[in-house]
Amino acid sequence: MFGYMGKVLRVSLTKDKITEEPLEESVARKFIGGRGLGAYILFNELKPGINPLGPENKLVVATGVVTGMPLPGNSGLNVMAKSPLTGIWGESTAKGFFGPEMKATGYDAIIIEGQADSPVYLLVHDGEAQIKDASHLWGRPTREVQRIIKTELKDERTQVGCIGIAGENLVKFANIMFGFNHFAGRTGMGTVMGSKRLKAIAVRGTRRVGYAHEDKLVDLLMNRLKSKEALSGPYWPDGLFKYGSLADLGYWQETGRLPTMNFRRCLFPGYDKVTAETLASSPYVIRNNTCPHCTVGCNRITKANDPYELDPEYATPEYESTAALSSLCMNDNLVAALKAIELCNKYGMDTMSTGVTIAFAMECYEKGIVTKKAADGMNLTWGNHEAIIQLTEKIAKREGIGNLLAEGSRRSAEKLGSGAEEFAMHVKGMEFPLHEVRGMKGHGLGIATSNRGACHLQVETDDMFEGQLDPDIGIDEKTFPKEYRDRLYTGPEKVKIVKIIGDLFAVFDSLVICKWTAYPCGGYKTGTLVDIIATATGWDFTMDELMKTGERIFNLCRAFNVREGITRKDDKLPRRFTEPLPEGPYKGEAFPEDVFERMLDHFYRLRGWDRKTGIPTREKLEELDIGYVADNLEILGIIPPIRKRKR
Amino acid sequence: MSQKYVVCNPDKCLGCGICEFVCSVVKDKSLAPSFSRIRQVNFEPTGSMAIACLLCENPPCVIACPVEALVKEEKGLIRVDEHKCNGCGWCILACRFGAITLHPTKRVAMTCDLCDGDPECVKLCPFEGALIFSTLEEEAHKATKGTAKTVLRELANARAGSST
Repeated sequence: MFGYMGKVLRVSLTKDKITEEPLEESVARKFIGGRGLGAYILFNELKPGINPLGPENKLVVATGVVTGMPLPGNSGLNVMAKSPLTGIWGESTAKGFFGPEMKATGYDAIIIEGQADSPVYLLVHDGEAQIKDASHLWGRPTREVQRIIKTELKDERTQVGCIGIAGENLVKFANIMFGFNHFAGRTGMGTVMGSKRLKAIAVRGTRRVGYAHEDKLVDLLMNRLKSKEALSGPYWPDGLFKYGSLADLGYWQETGRLPTMNFRRCLFPGYDKVTAETLASSPYVIRNNTCPHCTVGCNRITKANDPYELDPEYATPEYESTAALSSLCMNDNLVAALKAIELCNKYGMDTMSTGVTIAFAMECYEKGIVTKKAADGMNLTWGNHEAIIQLTEKIAKREGIGNLLAEGSRRSAEKLGSGAEEFAMHVKGMEFPLHEVRGMKGHGLGIATSNRGACHLQVETDDMFEGQLDPDIGIDEKTFPKEYRDRLYTGPEKVKIVKIIGDLFAVFDSLVICKWTAYPCGGYKTGTLVDIIATATGWDFTMDELMKTGERIFNLCRAFNVREGITRKDDKLPRRFTEPLPEGPYKGEAFPEDVFERMLDHFYRLRGWDRKTGIPTREKLEELDIGYVADNLEILGIIPPIRKRKR
Repeated sequence: MSQKYVVCNPDKCLGCGICEFVCSVVKDKSLAPSFSRIRQVNFEPTGSMAIACLLCENPPCVIACPVEALVKEEKGLIRVDEHKCNGCGWCILACRFGAITLHPTKRVAMTCDLCDGDPECVKLCPFEGALIFSTLEEEAHKATKGTAKTVLRELANARAGSST
């Protein structure tokens, strides 16, 4: 099979057993890889209702067709398991040098099952795998673990993905650090690794993937490099290179949609102290950093001495991280926000969930639900950056109030009671991304219906399509005139865009291609994806077939969630968004429940899901060629047995 | 003026490795960095850079070659005679920069030939200013100007500081 290594590695930590399985071409063509492959494996192998932190949960690390191809945006991998944070489908994408290296070991995916008795790490080297003792690595920060393993193996080119102490302490939103500066951040994949006592995965590979049309591959790369227009992309006029993703912060502030004070406000008074421009003109940035073969170079490395010492090994100012720990907590000290990010990365936890959970704690403190005594004597007033940093440290170590907050904002709110639920900004248990959905309605629907809880990377619409179109996936001027693409528009056309992008992003995460190198964010035109797949595998996908594949993967993840009890009642936004925005250009703009419910009706109809329950129908699943999913749901009594209907 | 060569500015280089691919495609129609004449190295977290032939004034690789397969051309370019080269590797050991390597399949020495005066890696490097096609004189001139600018700015700052 071209474009794949054709093998899957299965590691049982309980039995200390390692086996190899072939990757069937029929499965690969139907689910591509990455998210699709993981969803296929986990839907088949996980029983509904299992404990995400028990030995019965499985962790899948999967690459896709594009991973390792000599093209910009080739470095992705997807980590999937049942999430301990949300209790439903959990997945997180990471980029960097790990994905291509892992594929070069000879495996498209690694499945990790069971639970080890003592700390271990997994070493995969060119088709051979070993489970090795990691008791000397337990308790150490992420980068140190990577360095020790590299020294131990006497190979600098080994790539290591590892967890920090947050994962060991089962902080519910712990992440996995892959190489330098890249994280599978969300849904607590590091927690799953911690529960399995798997400290790290080290990979080193020299095997080459065979491609169906090697000669065309050269043309693809050269055309991409030569088209200078593609390097910046329409969505990022200034280029991610110049400012990184943090450029968003200024944009959201200017357009009055910067999440501030735990989403109570939408303009941050001290915003000019934390923008990308401020950072760029500060002495903190040492250099940009990039993934292999990337033409974007979005990542940057920072260092500072005052008021906090910043370690360049960890401090990376991305938009979501920085906004979560600055504007959302009313903290206008950039170095303090970077320090909190550094601690998160060092201890291995999700910066976004950490920030949102801290903002939640601050609001509870303001309302008197958390007293000063309960907060270990800390003064959790808005903008107190010392408290933010102390809390970050406490969450990772599960000390004092950190032990409560480490459970995530939903569980913390349940334990606190007294109306604290109102302040926990989450969907299905995952903390909100830093996007003000009252000012972008399509995005709001996308976040509410996303398969992994509140996530901005499963669907992104609104602003993105206001100034541009993408006829390859059916978003053209004729079907979607300008007024239907407006950020505040809530009609059926907007819902249709949400569905199209949901399917497209499922394809992106399965290929696994970086969303910042592919249209609509800038770079490859969507139609090029078909060429890329054809060049690598020789398959003759059409764009329609590819979008159908995306829809299949989206529905499979939904079916996984439905088995865990997700229905229409869970597809909702926090109540705060029904209140009007207090200031700025969108003052008075709200996301009323009836508008949302109407959009949701349209969405279910377009998706072919049951309107009352939000469960995919048998017709839809069979149309998508995954009838076995419908059979499975029928056995569990989730969808009615149509075929046995009496006449 | 000396010959232009491929210079890497480590302040601008991000270590993406595109130059290696471009070189292997242009020179060998293959997509493997091992076929590349330019080599890219990463040092996390501080820096990355790429190294190609520096066109030494008195090239040790040429001196070291026991079979006279390497010749320094008039313009400074090192030319490898693939018929004479026996792949012994003395030139590789002699080069302190690792800028000359062994061709993985032909087993003869290979080094940067500047693509006949228009290096493709420089043209296709995605990060402006990371790879430059320049001479030593030009680089020295740039460095002088850069330093002068910094000194002048600091002088101006100092004066502004003392007057207030």
